[in-house]
Amino acid sequence: MGLVLGVFVLVALAIVWRRTIGIGQSERLAALDAKRIGLEGERARLESEIRDASARQTLGATVERRLGMHIPTDKQVVILPRTTR
Amino acid sequence: MKTRKRLAIVHAFLILFALALVARAGKVQVIEGKDWVARARRQHFFAGSMSAPRGEILDASGNTLVESREMTRVAVALPEVRDTAFVLKALHHARVDADAVRAAIARRRRWIEVPGLYTTADVASLSKLNGIHLTPVLQRVYANSGGIKRIVGSLDGQGNPLDGLELALDTLLRGDSGKVRLARDKDGRALDSPDGWTEQPKAGSTVVLTINNTLQDICERELSIAVDSLRADGGDIVVMNPHTGEILALASSRVGKTTFSNTAVTEPFEPGSTLKPFVAASLLENGRARPTDIVDTHNGRIELDGRVITDMHKAQSLSLADVIRYSSNVGIVEFGQRLTPRQKYETFRNLGFGMPLGVPLPAEASGTLREPKQWSKQSSASILMGYEIAVTPLQLVTAYAAIANGGELLEPHLVKEVRSIDGKVLYRAEPRSVRRVMSGEVARTVQQMLLAVVREGTATKADLATFDVAGKSGTARRTSQNAGYVAGSYTASFVGLFPGNDPQYVVLVKLDNPRGAHYAGGDIAAPVTQIVLRAALAARDAALDREDLAASEKTAVAQSQVDPAGHTNSVAEVKFVRRNDAEGPDRPAQDSYDPNRNVAKRDPSEGTASYVIELPASLKSAAVAIASRAIPDVRGLSVREAVRAIHSAGFRVRLIGASTAGTFPAAGTIATPGTLVQLSRPLE
Repeated sequence: MGLVLGVFVLVALAIVWRRTIGIGQSERLAALDAKRIGLEGERARLESEIRDASARQTLGATVERRLGMHIPTDKQVVILPRTTR
Repeated sequence: MKTRKRLAIVHAFLILFALALVARAGKVQVIEGKDWVARARRQHFFAGSMSAPRGEILDASGNTLVESREMTRVAVALPEVRDTAFVLKALHHARVDADAVRAAIARRRRWIEVPGLYTTADVASLSKLNGIHLTPVLQRVYANSGGIKRIVGSLDGQGNPLDGLELALDTLLRGDSGKVRLARDKDGRALDSPDGWTEQPKAGSTVVLTINNTLQDICERELSIAVDSLRADGGDIVVMNPHTGEILALASSRVGKTTFSNTAVTEPFEPGSTLKPFVAASLLENGRARPTDIVDTHNGRIELDGRVITDMHKAQSLSLADVIRYSSNVGIVEFGQRLTPRQKYETFRNLGFGMPLGVPLPAEASGTLREPKQWSKQSSASILMGYEIAVTPLQLVTAYAAIANGGELLEPHLVKEVRSIDGKVLYRAEPRSVRRVMSGEVARTVQQMLLAVVREGTATKADLATFDVAGKSGTARRTSQNAGYVAGSYTASFVGLFPGNDPQYVVLVKLDNPRGAHYAGGDIAAPVTQIVLRAALAARDAALDREDLAASEKTAVAQSQVDPAGHTNSVAEVKFVRRNDAEGPDRPAQDSYDPNRNVAKRDPSEGTASYVIELPASLKSAAVAIASRAIPDVRGLSVREAVRAIHSAGFRVRLIGASTAGTFPAAGTIATPGTLVQLSRPLE
């Protein structure tokens, strides 16, 4: 009877231990998933900011004002014909 | 005996107790088992729906215009907060708007939604605080462009589409929600569990537009500069590929108005002289005129059906080609009399005017084209000059695309492709011809007329040094709701084909009510077209086929036409010119329409109104004015220096082997720029 009880307790402990480990890992997975989502959101935000900052509407005025750059005339654009091989 | 009896009683109680436990356990396990299992599941698990990420919207080159990202909404449940000061400090530390929370606390609110959305990383530190509730929310992020926003539309706070492509293509973009069942711990936080399950949401499809983001940026910027410098009420620029019907750019601007729709699709206008090429096409198509046919233009003034129609520059007679070149009202009305009202109506109806084009944008306007039975006496002449008819900028561009592509009216489209999340193509747009509206020969003839308009007609300011541009300017009086045509209020427009001989773009620039000395389409809309084309040429990716473009380069660079001073026309200089145009001294408008201009002068007994047109150039000088020049003497120069000198003089060079060094034609010979000069170098 005592042996049966002991085995029962050991099995119960093993189950509780296994569940505890599982819950711990699940929490870590959930935390990592939340971090992934957060980082993806951050990536999207940064990409959006880069797009906005490098947009012609933003850069155009700045490069004209600060660097004196301008849109070239069509005469200044040289289109090289593709050579046939 | 007494002890045994007592023990028996105790045992009996214990047995009864054990039986009661077994009975209760039996009841719980067997009879109520399912209920308890369900109750336990409700406590340990929870089910919810997972919103599907909305599909992305990309431009034709694959650049993201709109995407979804997960953000976090922060809320504070005040009764759950143990230390308010600590929570406020934590919110402030996480860059969350703590002031809004403080104000809500002062108003004794129990549930406080913090305004704004935050990245998960920013508010991660708040997740373990009592009373702070973080809810993931999918946020739609749009490219920072007003024009793109007007095309794609927007969503409301609940993620429902409000307008634009978001509304029109909602079934494709929204995807399918998923379901999830997760275990929850003692604090109610979600845990993955083998007993849970997840039905993943299916993300919305990716929609690829025909819009070229670079070209869209160029158009928006130049439109903004033009509207600002000309103090116009607004404007539109539309660019289309005439061979596919793809809309490459769709820029709109309205000063002082918040518009959520794209006015290039929703606001019709009276196009004025930009309709004249279609009248010419109809005359040619119906065999009613040839380009060289000449009509009497009565020295720029005729009286017709009780009103006077005039041209600003008087000419006794003009050919059909010259009527288009100089945008003669008298001439087009004279020629137009050869068409029946039904033919005029059908010409415009076949071009798609008066009916929606079917682009997937809500509130697309159909414009106005009345049937001949609804016309007044004057309508027959008015419609020839682009009045009593209203078209959207997109309709006008689509009609010009038919001239550019050899006569096919193509269905314009905005959506190039729809892809599922795994990359499978669900839909791909193909060029679709609605109908043939003119023969290829007529289209080519009209295209030649439009080339002349830019080379030496009313729109020389659209011309480029190295490429031909074809097009037609228009200047139309604007109406107000109650007052009819308003004095001094015009719509200036220009529709260009670029390159003129083999168009890759049809560009429409329309400016509403520009204020200043110059308001004519050829004066103010044509230069905007020119700078848009220049910027597109200089851009890395502006939907131009450069190989075809190289073949379309002008053989002779007519510098004097475009850049008489030989200066580099920088953006700043062009802007300066535009500002001078708007504010500088008056000079004759090139292409104007002013029914009220002569009203004050007219004799009331005549009961007439006047139509006036300015012509910019001498009618006598029809030939292209390219100054001939002498072939330079290159004797004594190295081959490289000689080639450079001949090129600089505007000639083309071919190197040939010969016994003596020199050029053919010989140095000093007068030749037109672009002439091929053979440069011989001695054979060794």
